[in-house]
Amino acid sequence: MERNPMRRQLAIMRQSLFDQGHVDEQFVQLEELQDDANPNFVEEVVTLYYRDSARIILNIEQALERKPFDFRKLDAYMHQFKGSSSSIGAKKVKAESTLFREYCKSGNGEGCMRSFQQLKKEYATLRKKLGTYFQLARQAGPVETASRPK
Amino acid sequence: MLEGKQNGQVFKLPKVILLATNITNVELEKAKAAGFADTVIMKPMRASMAAACLQQVLGIGKKRQAGKNMLNGSMALQGLLCGKKILVVDDNMVHQRVVAGALKKFEVAVECRESGKAALKLLQLPYCFDAYFMDIQMPEMNGFEATHPIRMMESKANKQMNGGMDEDSGRKGEWHVPILAMTADVIHATYDALNAGWMDVSKPFEEAKLYQVVAEFFKSTRSNCFT
Repeated sequence: MERNPMRRQLAIMRQSLFDQGHVDEQFVQLEELQDDANPNFVEEVVTLYYRDSARIILNIEQALERKPFDFRKLDAYMHQFKGSSSSIGAKKVKAESTLFREYCKSGNGEGCMRSFQQLKKEYATLRKKLGTYFQLARQAGPVETASRPK
Repeated sequence: MLEGKQNGQVFKLPKVILLATNITNVELEKAKAAGFADTVIMKPMRASMAAACLQQVLGIGKKRQAGKNMLNGSMALQGLLCGKKILVVDDNMVHQRVVAGALKKFEVAVECRESGKAALKLLQLPYCFDAYFMDIQMPEMNGFEATHPIRMMESKANKQMNGGMDEDSGRKGEWHVPILAMTADVIHATYDALNAGWMDVSKPFEEAKLYQVVAEFFKSTRSNCFT
């Protein structure tokens, strides 16, 4: 139990990220790679993820404006996005990516569009939550070790 | 380096490690055929798994305490993997960063590339890498296409080396860079690999099997071919 109130709040916030299904075990993996030599590893990787995602989301948006849909291309983009999301442990976003890819494979344009809207929502939520989390983490100071959520 | 004997020849095994997402034990077993990849790792890369697989395929430190979390186990592994040079090829920059981060934790020197083509340029004999982590689902060149030229090159070089070798003359390495293939879709990857006679998969902690599988690979390497 953290004595420092800020650290406690951080721990609670972190736990809720897991409990609400925003992140999974892979996020813990990132945390475990953070140490004195790499004190901001998690945030750095997540920032890279945002950059990468912005590009892919734009590509998908543009692809969805062209009719008929090029499902192969859409699927390829989403494969990339899923890979990135999966690498940082973005659980809900990853799940939505999978769904989108299913729609691509079955040539379901409506499904793709719906799924993409949902995905963008999840992604925005994740960004917001992680943004708050990292901000608090910076204020609270370095955390010693990652603890497994339960 | 993992060593094994096949017809009196001892070979070093740079490892092909497949990174895959949903591998099941069944698939892993099924994929144990002679081929190009030495092991499969699920994407996204788990740091402890990366180190364990690497340790395994490089034949380092046979005794490893199971059940230790990475932070404790890392001290032991750190020394063992320190100084190894690994090539990581993944077109996904985020995953590449995670893999590099995981390996650097063990003081492994990591070089990253984004394409199979770029990797092939770096993987010329004599190798300066101890192992090669490779995403096998890259758009411009899939993993099989990226490793086949490597195995063919090795096969050729090994054929040339084979003359005049016998058990008494001592140990001599045969070229075989360990390729650790990474894939997010191991089910299809193993299926394709089996069909192509491509994959050579081993679980961590099964050195004997790995050796056997790779030995088989060397025997059958000339007959293996894939489209």
